[in-house]
Amino acid sequence: MEKQTTTHSFIVPIGPQHPALKEPSHFRIAVDGEIVTGASVRLGYAHRGIEKATESRTWIQNLYLLERICGICSHIHGMAYCLAVERLAQVDVPARAQAIRVLFAELERIHSHLLWLGVAAHEAGFDTLFMYSWRDRETVMDILEQLSGNRVNYSANVLGGVKFDVDQLCIESILTGIDFLEERTQYYLKVVSTDALFLQRTRGIGTMSRRQAEVLGTVGPTARASGVDRDIRIEAPYAAYNQFPIQLTLDDKGDLEARVLVRLRELFESYRVIRQILSDLPPGDLTVRMPRRIQQGETVLRVEAPRGELFYFVRSNGSDMPERIKVRTPTICNLLSVVKLAVGHQLADVPMILVGIDPCFSCNDRTVIVDRANETSRQWSWKELRQYGSTYYQQRAT
Amino acid sequence: MEAPTISNELRNLFSLVLFPGGCFLILLGLSYEWVDRKLLARFQNRIGPRWFQPLADTLKLLAKEEVVPENVDLRLFVGLPIVALTGALTAGLYVPILGVKTAFSFSGDLIVTLYMLSLLTLCMGLAGANTLDRFSLIGATRTLTQLFSYESPFLLALLGPALFSSNWQISEIAASAGGRWLLLTQPIGFLVAIIALMGKLELPPFDAPEAETEIVAGALTEYSGRGLALFRLGKGVELVVGLTLISVLYLGGIADPLTFLIKTMALLFIIVVLQALLTRLRIDQTVGLWWRYGALLVLLQWFVIILL
Amino acid sequence: MRLAAMIGDIASAFIHHPITERYPFECREAPGRLRGMLHWEPENCIGCGLCAKDCPAAAIELIVLDKKAKRFVVRYHPGRCVFCAQCVFSCRQECLSMSNTEWELAVTQKAELIRHYGDKEDVEEVLAGNFVPDSF
Repeated sequence: MEKQTTTHSFIVPIGPQHPALKEPSHFRIAVDGEIVTGASVRLGYAHRGIEKATESRTWIQNLYLLERICGICSHIHGMAYCLAVERLAQVDVPARAQAIRVLFAELERIHSHLLWLGVAAHEAGFDTLFMYSWRDRETVMDILEQLSGNRVNYSANVLGGVKFDVDQLCIESILTGIDFLEERTQYYLKVVSTDALFLQRTRGIGTMSRRQAEVLGTVGPTARASGVDRDIRIEAPYAAYNQFPIQLTLDDKGDLEARVLVRLRELFESYRVIRQILSDLPPGDLTVRMPRRIQQGETVLRVEAPRGELFYFVRSNGSDMPERIKVRTPTICNLLSVVKLAVGHQLADVPMILVGIDPCFSCNDRTVIVDRANETSRQWSWKELRQYGSTYYQQRAT
Repeated sequence: MEAPTISNELRNLFSLVLFPGGCFLILLGLSYEWVDRKLLARFQNRIGPRWFQPLADTLKLLAKEEVVPENVDLRLFVGLPIVALTGALTAGLYVPILGVKTAFSFSGDLIVTLYMLSLLTLCMGLAGANTLDRFSLIGATRTLTQLFSYESPFLLALLGPALFSSNWQISEIAASAGGRWLLLTQPIGFLVAIIALMGKLELPPFDAPEAETEIVAGALTEYSGRGLALFRLGKGVELVVGLTLISVLYLGGIADPLTFLIKTMALLFIIVVLQALLTRLRIDQTVGLWWRYGALLVLLQWFVIILL
Repeated sequence: MRLAAMIGDIASAFIHHPITERYPFECREAPGRLRGMLHWEPENCIGCGLCAKDCPAAAIELIVLDKKAKRFVVRYHPGRCVFCAQCVFSCRQECLSMSNTEWELAVTQKAELIRHYGDKEDVEEVLAGNFVPDSF
């Protein structure tokens, strides 16, 4: 990528504290009047050192740590970790547990997309849609609370299966809730595709061709809105997606309106799969016994989070603590597209383009050193980071 | 004008400072702001604030520390909110607030009222341009751009009734209409006036100058404490004065408090419905809208008035 | 393309009540599986300590007074707990449970953030401090 020059123009900082962002990050937007002439991004404000922290906790404790990387994708992080560790330990999880995991994952996808719809409407200035979609989101949160006991961070996964069963009462309330939500989603689909002023804010904004989407490495609904036909649930089915397959949701226009429509249409797929799971729930146990020490090995696992492809690398050295866990979240793939697409648009479109990729900055802070002079990159160890920190502050004090 | 006696002066002072101008107008502005927020909340299926919320907001702001940013012109920074509130209150002198016939009207006061209302917007634009903050500068630019775009349709729409009755004094225009509703004979002008009032007050869909999700708070980003409180009071007063002006000119005058409340509340209801329904327009879309449709509509209205 | 697509919702807003719950004056009943305050019953405990080993937040400690006589005290830190219910799941004897009525857990004194569960004499012995801690 060529270097972004943002040094000599009028720079509007979006972040780290800004009402448009839900989490801190820094976008330096160079404007000329109202037209954006350059953009660059700085991350790292929400870095918590989770990957390092996993190395000093046992396998069971890590599940809950990794679940809290993100609030809206918490179940899918936990599920990816459990699937990876179960694969390393060569343990077969019962079918009922896998189906319940997929049930939670699809409910979480519904939750995430409804939340996103509200946030996108708020960024556009359409507060009424924001309030109503968040009111309807309460329905799915109530369902999740009834199933698991918590509205976010459901902690439904355990290594070897799930903790909570789905009984008849739960099934009835889920089906009632899904019926209500499907009716409301139809209404929102109509609103976002016919409301003239909302279309003025989304149609033709942030258009990304299929080639651009592939070169920039976008994933998830952002890529599917540009015609890239990739969905991990279809390409490499995991958990119970073999038994309950998903149909692909595509759009080829690639603008913001397409991204809104793709996310709303994915909701209908989720409703269908949930109904299918509830009617064909396989009988059986909920968990299987897992060893406390996982045998040596390494594995790579990809799942489809609500925002795109989530990638886990887990390496074990035979003890009861992992040796290395690497998490690559989807937002970091989509972020470059914002910086590229913002140039040439108006300043008022930049928050809309940003929200179009469904950003989740808590997931994506890493520390990588890029050595431009020698054209290499390496990662810092804990010791080097501490040393750098103390030297920096000592120099600042003098 | 009556002969200036002590009791006349006292009466004028009373109506200037306490009722129906001054303090009463400020309190009326706060209550209208409450009705606006409450109705909007109910439309969005929420509860909305309690009746004393705008008053509590103002008192809280007055109690907070005012942070003065670096490199601002201090006299402008402190003086602009005061001038803005003064302009709004002065505009209120010439309209019949609560149906009370104003003691200060004179020939041509319609023009003065309109300019006083614009003074508030100009002060906000200047206040934004005063600082070095990026958000304020962009907000100030947007405020002034929006001012240039809706101002002429707004003025022309409000001068339509004046043209009709060949008079520039508000109370005379109302009297010459004789209780008839000019809304029925000049509907386009009424429509343009209502929507332009939303633009002047920076209500959605015309709130690009203070778009929270793009430029934090627009021109008023650097204001806090007393300055912000005065600006917000000015906006509340502007709401009341604008509504009263439109109902006097288009809805057949205001004779008593009850009529005042009913007519202005009806207009406020329409404004809140439009607020809830529409998305925010980008600033270039606003300008395009006003210079294409707004100006054409109001010129059409004027042709109709002149021909008939 | 329509100009006011959400008019249906806005018009019906006057028929429906606001959805907001006026907490704490109106309080919905919590669902049955809600994970609130942790409780421990000492009858069946065998002292395996898996609850303390598996806790991701070090919120639960098992204090062994006498393993043969099955005298245990559990020290629980609600402030550290993340309410994941892993301890409930790990305990094979089903000694642990999470309440679904006690979920308003804000406190004003730091002392309330340490709770001891167990038989009365055992807890008193722990609080008096005359034992050799063998906690995990």
